[in-house]
Amino acid sequence: MWMCLVAISHIHLFREYFRSEGIRRNQILYLFIGSVVGFSGGITNFMVAYSQPVYPSGNFTIPIYSLIVTYAILKYRLLDITVAITRTGIFLAVYSVVLGLPFALAFGAQKYLIKIYDLNWWIIPLGSSTILATVGPYIYLFIQKKAEDRLLQEQRQYQATLRKASLGMGQIKDLKRLLSLIVHVVTKAVRIEHCKIFLYHEASNRFVLKAAKNKRLEEVKLNVVDANNVLITTLVKTKEPIVYQEIKQQKTDYFEDKNLYELEKLLTLLDAELVVPSFIEQTLIAFIVLGKKYSGKMYTQDDLVVFSILASQSALAIENAMFHEETKRTHEQLFKAEKMATIGTMADGLSHQINNRLHAMGFIAGDALDTLRRFKDKPVPADAKEVLDNIQNALERIEENVKRGGEIVQGLLTYTRKGEEGFVSVDLDKLLDASIEMAAFKIKTKEIDFHRHFDSQTPKVRGNFTQLQEVLFNVIDNSYDAIMQRKSELGERGYRGVIDIAANTNGTKLELVIRDNGMGVKDENKNKIFTPFFTTKLSSKKGTGLGMYVIKKIIEENHRGKVEFTSQYKVGSQTKLLLPLHNPDFKDFSQKT
Amino acid sequence: MAKLLVVDDEQDIRDFAKSFFQKRNINVITASGGAEALELIEKEKPDLVLLDIHMEEMSGVEVLKQLRQNKNDIKVIMVTGVEEESIVNEANSWGIRGYIHKPLVLEELEKIVIGELGTKRS
Repeated sequence: MWMCLVAISHIHLFREYFRSEGIRRNQILYLFIGSVVGFSGGITNFMVAYSQPVYPSGNFTIPIYSLIVTYAILKYRLLDITVAITRTGIFLAVYSVVLGLPFALAFGAQKYLIKIYDLNWWIIPLGSSTILATVGPYIYLFIQKKAEDRLLQEQRQYQATLRKASLGMGQIKDLKRLLSLIVHVVTKAVRIEHCKIFLYHEASNRFVLKAAKNKRLEEVKLNVVDANNVLITTLVKTKEPIVYQEIKQQKTDYFEDKNLYELEKLLTLLDAELVVPSFIEQTLIAFIVLGKKYSGKMYTQDDLVVFSILASQSALAIENAMFHEETKRTHEQLFKAEKMATIGTMADGLSHQINNRLHAMGFIAGDALDTLRRFKDKPVPADAKEVLDNIQNALERIEENVKRGGEIVQGLLTYTRKGEEGFVSVDLDKLLDASIEMAAFKIKTKEIDFHRHFDSQTPKVRGNFTQLQEVLFNVIDNSYDAIMQRKSELGERGYRGVIDIAANTNGTKLELVIRDNGMGVKDENKNKIFTPFFTTKLSSKKGTGLGMYVIKKIIEENHRGKVEFTSQYKVGSQTKLLLPLHNPDFKDFSQKT
Repeated sequence: MAKLLVVDDEQDIRDFAKSFFQKRNINVITASGGAEALELIEKEKPDLVLLDIHMEEMSGVEVLKQLRQNKNDIKVIMVTGVEEESIVNEANSWGIRGYIHKPLVLEELEKIVIGELGTKRS
């Protein structure tokens, strides 16, 4: 029976060896070798029990077993040494009773037993050893649990706290609060020197320190970690917490591994005793850095399990909060747009009213002024003349203010609504010059060539100059970014960005085609190009995702034109604008030349 | 004598426009709404209509539309305020001499009106 148990245990151990990997695999290997050596030596004890004349010479292998296991613990998992020692102690104590008692009976009480049971005396030691071997494991487990409860009381307590805390985290929608709660709970519960959370920042492809406890931010030597840093690659590869002490240990064993040195250096900079990764599916979104425990104790395997649970709960909560904030931001932007629309509608009605009042005032003042000017030719007394001069001056001032007021109202409308105000005949050359000039504030226009494929005979378009300037600015800006992207991503020799601008009349419209030889847009993104807040630009700082949306609005809603966008990935993009032609037969008297 | 019809639903505008142009030997008649304007055009046959685009009862565009549908090709200058381009475009499609934005200064309006009336003025 005992043999069976040993055999089963070894088979399990052997299986586990193949299932596990990394440190654990090595640990199990050592344990396996150790126990095979130890038990095969131990077996020799039984020979005596069964009255075989073999001396228990294998006993010396039992300490070797302990030595090998101790070595394995020291080498591969320093953490659990207290637990391991306790477990070994209990194991030895329990089994020395379980196995020792029958032996004691067999040897010490043999004479009495023979007296009572005669030739069947061996039934007693054998029977008792059978019973004890059966209940032994239960006793062992029971004592072990009691001992560990005592030994790890503090640890168990904080593990429970952390579990509870991680369950409540999903409720918090404010990212900043959530992060400070995590570091707060961890430092309080585990009683560690400090705790920090680094969060992935997509735009810069880095992990940035977002919350810290017991460590003033200015004390932190390192608050950003590049995404291709060895720490990150290791976390992504192993998906397991990194223990500083282990890295230090491994460094001496695999001294040719340069990564380990770098990793150790970084962990020292971070002042990290333990680094726990937070994954959402396969993506590392954050990691938690833990300092030393105040008690000076090391982190145990159980700790790592709890922290891993905490980290994955945190990841979910963080993702939840981030999603919530993102939604909030989008809503705010949409709300702003809505608000502008409401102000626009209000401004519409109000400006009608104000405009009409100004108009009437202009008529009244204008007519009075006209009467006055006619009357002034007639001879009047000097004092009356002075009064008339004053009135004339006042009326002229009123006219002036009516004009100004009108301009203000028009100006207000060009901002809040598309309006037809400010619609003039627009010269393409001038428009392009102004747009490139505007773009020069943002981009390096010298790095690309502009080719104009139209002549001075090209008919003028009818539109709002400022709005059309903004459209062309956006198109040029997009092209520039696409050109820069191609330059850096494809790295073609002798590549130079070109923007071609061509114009052709098409019925009552002018067809303006702006073509670039930039990166182009992937097929799957083409139909989203006019969607607000959609951007393919790498850095979200560069693209608001509103450029093409604005272009479409200005061209199609304000100018009754049309925008067509075609693109071929890695070849270039083309924006076609259809704009109404200016009709010279139609006089706009408001246009001063 | 040249005849000018001023169509506007504001009393002040009608009064002062009349006062101003009459001093320039122009016969000014006024209408406070679309229906009245159509009636006066039929009866008085003015040489030029100064038509406000935004009126409560009937819009200037509607007046223009009815005129053109009745094959009346009388000269019209639209007075526009802060209208949407589409409205102005519609007016344009019915045939107008041009349009002028509110608020305007009478001296400027004078040039336009006199330019349109031309030799009719005596």
